[in-house]
Amino acid sequence: MDTVDGYIVRVRRVHRFFRRGSERVDVLNDLTLDVPHGEFLGLMGPSGSGKTTLLNLIAGLDQPSAGEVWVGQELVSAMSESQLARWRTRHVGFVFQFYHLLPVLTAFENVELPLLLLPLSAKQRRQQVLNALDLVGLNERVRHRPGQLSGGEQQRVGIARAIVTDPLLIVADEPTGDLDARSAAEILDILGELRRALDKTILMVTHDPHAAERADRVLHLEKGRLVEQPGGAG
Amino acid sequence: MYVSSVLLWMLLAALAASALLVWLGRIPIQYNLRNLVVRWKTTLLTALAFTAVIALLTVMMAFVNGMYQLTATSGQPGNLIILSDGVTDEVFSNIAFADAGDIEIDERIVREDGQPLCSHETYLVVNQPILHPQPGRPLRRFLQIRGVDNPEISARVHGLELLPGGAWFGTGVRDLPQAGGDASPPQSAIEVVLGEGIARELGRDRDRQQLASARHPQRLDVGDTFELNARQWLVVGVMNSAGSTFDSEVWGKRALLGPMFGKETYTSLVLRTADAAAAREAKRYFSEDFQKAAVQPLVETEYFASLNDTNRQFLVGVVFVTIVMAVGGVFGVMNTMFAAISQRIRDIGVLRLLGYQRWRILISFVLESLFLALLGGAVGALLGGLCDGVTANSVVSAGPGGGKFVVLRMVVGADTLALGLLLSLAMGFLGGLIPALSAMRLKPLDALR
Amino acid sequence: MKLLLLILKNIRRNLLRSTLTSLGVLVLVFVVTLIWSVLWFLDLVTAERSRNFKGIVSERWRMPSQMPFSYATTLEEGAAREPGDVRPEDSMTWQFFGGSFEPDPRKRTRDNTIFGIALEPAKLGTMMDELDQLPADKAAPLLEAIAGLEGRPNGIIMGRTQLQRTGKQIGDRFTLYGLNYRDINLEFEVVGTFPEGRYDNTVAFHRHYLLAALDAYQQARKRPHPLADKTLNLVWLKVPDRAAFDRLGAQITSSPLYASPAVKFETASSGIATFLEAYRDLLWGMRWLLAPAILATLALVISNAISISVRERRTEMAVLKVLGFRPAQILLLVLGEAVLLGGLSGLVSSSATYILINHAFGGLKFPIAFFPAFFIPEAAIWWGLAVGAGTALAGSLVPAWNTRSVRVADVFAKVA
Repeated sequence: MDTVDGYIVRVRRVHRFFRRGSERVDVLNDLTLDVPHGEFLGLMGPSGSGKTTLLNLIAGLDQPSAGEVWVGQELVSAMSESQLARWRTRHVGFVFQFYHLLPVLTAFENVELPLLLLPLSAKQRRQQVLNALDLVGLNERVRHRPGQLSGGEQQRVGIARAIVTDPLLIVADEPTGDLDARSAAEILDILGELRRALDKTILMVTHDPHAAERADRVLHLEKGRLVEQPGGAG
Repeated sequence: MYVSSVLLWMLLAALAASALLVWLGRIPIQYNLRNLVVRWKTTLLTALAFTAVIALLTVMMAFVNGMYQLTATSGQPGNLIILSDGVTDEVFSNIAFADAGDIEIDERIVREDGQPLCSHETYLVVNQPILHPQPGRPLRRFLQIRGVDNPEISARVHGLELLPGGAWFGTGVRDLPQAGGDASPPQSAIEVVLGEGIARELGRDRDRQQLASARHPQRLDVGDTFELNARQWLVVGVMNSAGSTFDSEVWGKRALLGPMFGKETYTSLVLRTADAAAAREAKRYFSEDFQKAAVQPLVETEYFASLNDTNRQFLVGVVFVTIVMAVGGVFGVMNTMFAAISQRIRDIGVLRLLGYQRWRILISFVLESLFLALLGGAVGALLGGLCDGVTANSVVSAGPGGGKFVVLRMVVGADTLALGLLLSLAMGFLGGLIPALSAMRLKPLDALR
Repeated sequence: MKLLLLILKNIRRNLLRSTLTSLGVLVLVFVVTLIWSVLWFLDLVTAERSRNFKGIVSERWRMPSQMPFSYATTLEEGAAREPGDVRPEDSMTWQFFGGSFEPDPRKRTRDNTIFGIALEPAKLGTMMDELDQLPADKAAPLLEAIAGLEGRPNGIIMGRTQLQRTGKQIGDRFTLYGLNYRDINLEFEVVGTFPEGRYDNTVAFHRHYLLAALDAYQQARKRPHPLADKTLNLVWLKVPDRAAFDRLGAQITSSPLYASPAVKFETASSGIATFLEAYRDLLWGMRWLLAPAILATLALVISNAISISVRERRTEMAVLKVLGFRPAQILLLVLGEAVLLGGLSGLVSSSATYILINHAFGGLKFPIAFFPAFFIPEAAIWWGLAVGAGTALAGSLVPAWNTRSVRVADVFAKVA
């Protein structure tokens, strides 16, 4: 297991600011956070609180202005862009609010995308893709394109894509934000099942209190700082 | 000079490189191909622009190739042409009859049945009024007439044969059957042999009645007549001369044609030697050692090669027009690719996020541009290739003051098609590179916002 | 006016796309202008005129014509012999002399050879196309050069390209060793040049000089030169109208003075057309394949750009409809954008082509017949505007028409 003292994510005194013209905007302030392996962590807060920025830093999409971000035993905040790209492929799975599937590729092909960067044979890739789609209950729709799938089905494809490389971490940014209640519940069920069956660590940004209830722990961000709140069923 | 087969290898290399890029880039190629289909209108418009450029290039190169082939196949390697000293073109040359005897006794000249293979020729350009000119077309044409002393020997020297059914002229004059039967005085006609090209050209002068009863509707044939210099001229044979400058010539008896048009000398002697080396040696002899007359010897293949001057200028023109059109096409495809990228910024962000490096994004969009180019270019090359074998008129010359009117066959070879496809790929590459560079510079987060 | 401002703003909104489209139009209009300039000039010189044109007397059958110089005197009078016969308004004789700077025949090449025309100097200013209609500032140097020819028997006028090619300048002396006139070597002094343009490759000298050289040859060798009675190549006659041309033609062809060789009289345009017949397929290809293909490519480039632009602005067009713009107005917006972009780009291109080709490059050098170079006519500046605007209109019709199908409900449903 790729953890340190049982923690898979360690954020140490991270600052992140952006420049807008001559003005400096502090988004995250001296933030420290530990996420144990296998936790389903929810991040909530008002718009502009920095929750998506924090998610991006942990997922290796952004670099802090100061501080350290550790994922597993890797100091992600010190990696170069090409190192981060390679690292992301193997260690992070992404689930987005608007799915972000490539519209001209089938469900199978969308899920296969991350595997094409790994040294696997076509047979191995096929097996892993079918396994991932089976886990999310979409093995009947592998040849369909996103335009032929409902919102919930598209999000399942997104989740399958996120887990197909067996990553350390799954980050989900408002995964139910564009879904109706029923589809949202199904998606949250899948995420919960991933955590239980595959022992995945899940970081989820959400505005939805129903989604937050599913988390083991919910953290609130306000003005770039953390405020903890007990989680739901988990 | 043809476009060489190096182009075929270059095309294969370019296609192989593209295949390698597909493998290296890792982004599934169906992503690019399906996007081309989804945006089919834009794809079609852009591809059609490529089609137009490449089709035009293919046709223009076919014309130039035809001209080069004409001059390349018109000469025999062992032939030496003797012109009078200092002239730039056969039509200005004057060689006295007496000098011919001194020239053809040279031992390097091949002999058959004791006779030297030496063609005595008087080349003339004659102005012929067109009997039934088409509206808006000229009232006259220039006929290239070659008077020879011995047509069989001249044909042997030039490697020419007659199409079946024809014969070479003897005395050069023949009586024509008269409409009024034996009672009317016979009308004599000048016997001539025509190149196939000029036979077609003269065949167009016939009226409907003549065409209806013609043996060969496309061209004049054995037994047909035409009028020139207030005389009837009778076709006794048609040369199998396609692809040579002789295709546009009228051959007749020199002893008749020379005085008829005021030329009382030979314009050229064409000597057959054993091979190219012997021809060069004979050239040296006639240039430096032969003192009996002031002559200008030219190895026949070199003479026809010198007529490529016009070809070179046409080729420069073709290259210029093609490059300019290609530049226009590149701007067009650049527009298309910039638009494609702006519509797929989110896709780029997802790919970057999933771990696809910048250079793979670059490769993907360059490949898309290349496919677009190949699609349009291939259609263009095929369309342009339809002109293979089509005949066209032109002029070949070595410079000012002279030239031969020729009928050429346009030639579309594999290397011409390869050139078209290579140009298409080059356009696609250049047109796709800058937009692809802009795509690869996008940051994942910015692209997803 | 507001519509125009909106059009301009739309062009500016995606400057990259507008620039790329404009550049595409620029280069393609450049090529079309070149091609049409060549065709325009050839159509001009082969168009039969009805007034104030020239006819050419040449050998009836053989080319090149080699008539005896004795024909000149009577031909200059139009072979008039009866009272009431027509005489030409003016005339000019041409004798072609080819010579090399190199005395050794074995070292003669195209590069050290020139072909000149022996004629009466005064006719340069009255009988040569364009030279007979020069503005005062350009006529003065030519008149000076003509006076130089008349004043010096061995004077020679050379066009600018010929001067450059041979490395000569006004005042230089040289000898030309005869090519077609074997053993006739003429010493010349450059006394002037032609105005820049059509005659850059022309060389002219006094016909008396050649005739005197032929006489001297006969005196020295006690026999005439082989070309002595074949020295007259062309005779130009200026006629006021078609009727005079026909009368002159009848007089000349029926005259017993021109039996051997027989002569023919044709209009200059007809004579040129005969020469151009050998290029008819090439010219057909230029007129009906090359130019239309370029125009089609132009239309495609613009159509592509406008289609992309319309597709990206569907929401914006829906908003315009909501605000009260009628479909026809939106269509006009799109068409206007295309026509303005295409028209302006075309105008800039053809103007630049005119300046570049005529003044920087001294004409377009393309080997057709005996024309050394082609020039861009002033009218071509407007061709660019017309071609750019016209192809833009054609290419943008379909995308512009498609804007009528933008439905407000559909677009805003997607956005929501």
